[in-house]
Amino acid sequence: MGGRTEDVVTVDGSTRTDAGSTGVDEARGVTWHGVRTVAALELRQRVRSSRWKTALVVWVVAVGAITLLSSGALAALSRTESDPPSRGPLLFAIVTVLVLGLGLLVTPTLTSTAVNGDRAAGTLATLQVTLLSPAEIALGKLLAAWSAALAFLVASVPFLGVALALGDVPVAALPRVVVVVALLLVAVCGIGLGWSTVAARPAGSTVLTFLTVAGLAVFTPVFFGIAFPAVTQTETVTVHGISPEQWQDLDGLELENGAPANATCETYTEEREVTHTERTWWLLALNPFVVVADAAGTSPGAGMDAAANRFDPLGTVSEGVRFLRAGPPDVQEECWIEDGSAVELPTAGAVWPYGLAANLLLGVVGFVVAVRRLRIPQRTLPRGTRVA
Amino acid sequence: MADSPAPDLPPGGTGTAVATAPGIDVRGLRRAFGTVQALDGVDLVARAGAVTALVGPNGSGKTTLLLVLAGLLVPDAGEVRVAGVDPVTQSRAARARTGWMPDAFGTWDSLTAREVLTTFADAYRVAPAAIPGRVEDLLATVHLSEYADRPAAVLSRGQKQRLGLARALVHDPQVLLLDEPASGLDPRSRVELRVLLRRLADEGRTVLVSSHVLSELEEMADDAVFLSRGRTVAGHLGDDAAAARRTWRLRALDRAALVAWLDASGVVWRADADAADGAVLLDVEGDAGAAALVRDAVTAGVPVVSLAPAGGALEQAYLALDEERR
Repeated sequence: MGGRTEDVVTVDGSTRTDAGSTGVDEARGVTWHGVRTVAALELRQRVRSSRWKTALVVWVVAVGAITLLSSGALAALSRTESDPPSRGPLLFAIVTVLVLGLGLLVTPTLTSTAVNGDRAAGTLATLQVTLLSPAEIALGKLLAAWSAALAFLVASVPFLGVALALGDVPVAALPRVVVVVALLLVAVCGIGLGWSTVAARPAGSTVLTFLTVAGLAVFTPVFFGIAFPAVTQTETVTVHGISPEQWQDLDGLELENGAPANATCETYTEEREVTHTERTWWLLALNPFVVVADAAGTSPGAGMDAAANRFDPLGTVSEGVRFLRAGPPDVQEECWIEDGSAVELPTAGAVWPYGLAANLLLGVVGFVVAVRRLRIPQRTLPRGTRVA
Repeated sequence: MADSPAPDLPPGGTGTAVATAPGIDVRGLRRAFGTVQALDGVDLVARAGAVTALVGPNGSGKTTLLLVLAGLLVPDAGEVRVAGVDPVTQSRAARARTGWMPDAFGTWDSLTAREVLTTFADAYRVAPAAIPGRVEDLLATVHLSEYADRPAAVLSRGQKQRLGLARALVHDPQVLLLDEPASGLDPRSRVELRVLLRRLADEGRTVLVSSHVLSELEEMADDAVFLSRGRTVAGHLGDDAAAARRTWRLRALDRAALVAWLDASGVVWRADADAADGAVLLDVEGDAGAAALVRDAVTAGVPVVSLAPAGGALEQAYLALDEERR
């Protein structure tokens, strides 16, 4: 026995050094062949289940019905007005919000059980022991889920096209919305994949994924509202307008007759309540709906009739969140007497790149967690699970 | 690494390569799940070219041991070599050589049997040109050709089990780890499984089978390893069985005459409590002792009907373990 043991030590010594080099490059290997194999497996498993086809049909019917009904309702409403607002931007906003909203509801279910569901079904370990790397398994599952989510998105494009055909929406808004929604959905896929490797049970990871999505889509404006008083404070602000002293000099009769002729705008300081939304705007930027609204670019820009009577919810959200990002200006512009035109609201730059990046970062975190948790051999197991 | 095959050696080599091919070598393996010590010092050698039975009561650590060998679990301590490769540090190389069939596994219900095998051939990087032929061969081997294009959901449990076996063989592995492969199989499939495993071993592969069907194991296994409470327990089989002292079951037409003769010749016997035919159990030194016993009994005029080993050698060893069942 002694001789045998010695033998093992030598064998072991030589294999260990060799193992060091082979062990490193195998863990991160990603080949298209491997990713495609996993993705094809996932898609076959999903696409063939009639549930999925039913879901797609229900989706098209729901989005289509709401698009046509709201289009008809808008037409009926505008008939009573002398100068009806253009229906295009409003319908475009309705379809966009609908597609994103339903997408955020459907997509979590595509990946949130991808790993622990397979583990429960007893199909994960047999896949792990093949020559597929953890990254290939994770990427394949992500790709399959994203393709399924994109199928829903592509099925909704015709309805965005209908809204576009009603006019007053820049054509570029359609591809912009589709691309940004697609990227937000892949982020949700990544988040769901991550949770599905962390939570032991499919029900748990589904709830956690929905909570994460709800956190982004619902809780962010709530937190923004809650934080509003905290960033509101009384401070000395500089104002350009008619000073309170001038107002005191005017008597009531003069005011009733209209704008005082002798009033002039001047710069003065005053104690006022100011809300520093430039500190909390990012909460709104995290919101997928805000990201899409800001990225859609439906506000009248070059080539659009700025004076057209249009009601554009996406553009309004976009302008609003950019205004909030800018925060209170150094000088409050309140000189309204010089001409009748609307005062330019101070605005900051685009908000959507930050929000989109943050969402994608969450998706990447979920993906990285999934890859780490899919590595074998495993040292620790999630509580209450078996390997196979 | 001179003693280890090159990473991309085509599996299932022939001739002299087989004779020297390393099988499974486990020393001092330990693995705990929290406070439960699932494996508590396992030593195991499974030779290439032989079928090794892994026997033990429920909860003795058989499945955990196979998970470590399949490269799914990191052991807490101990040395493991599968086909000469460490499944922990050289995971990929070990996986390329190992075919693992878990005791409980699922199938992709929407996929057909052919698609399952094709997918796994892809996952094991089998050359694309070779895949259709390989899948066809495997389907024929496990007698699933006529179910090749039906979804796995409609397969019976035994058919799924056979599909699982085909899947474990798809990359022509050098080492086969089978966890309860016979469960759910009909008698005919069991015989075929036995023949198949025998053939795979004769081709030079290492086959490690865990099972509770001990009579089955005894017929196909060359070696046996006994697990109890996470430890390997000395067990014997094969060459030793013919010479070892074991229990035999003796039955005669006239029980009184048998008992009288046994008492007269001073043989220690006990009644077989499980049987109603009046047979007695006695410990005999090997086959030679049994032959002598029959001769003496017949000479003494006892109407002997049968003398046979009581249960298999495996069963007897297993029952000894079973007393310590937790």
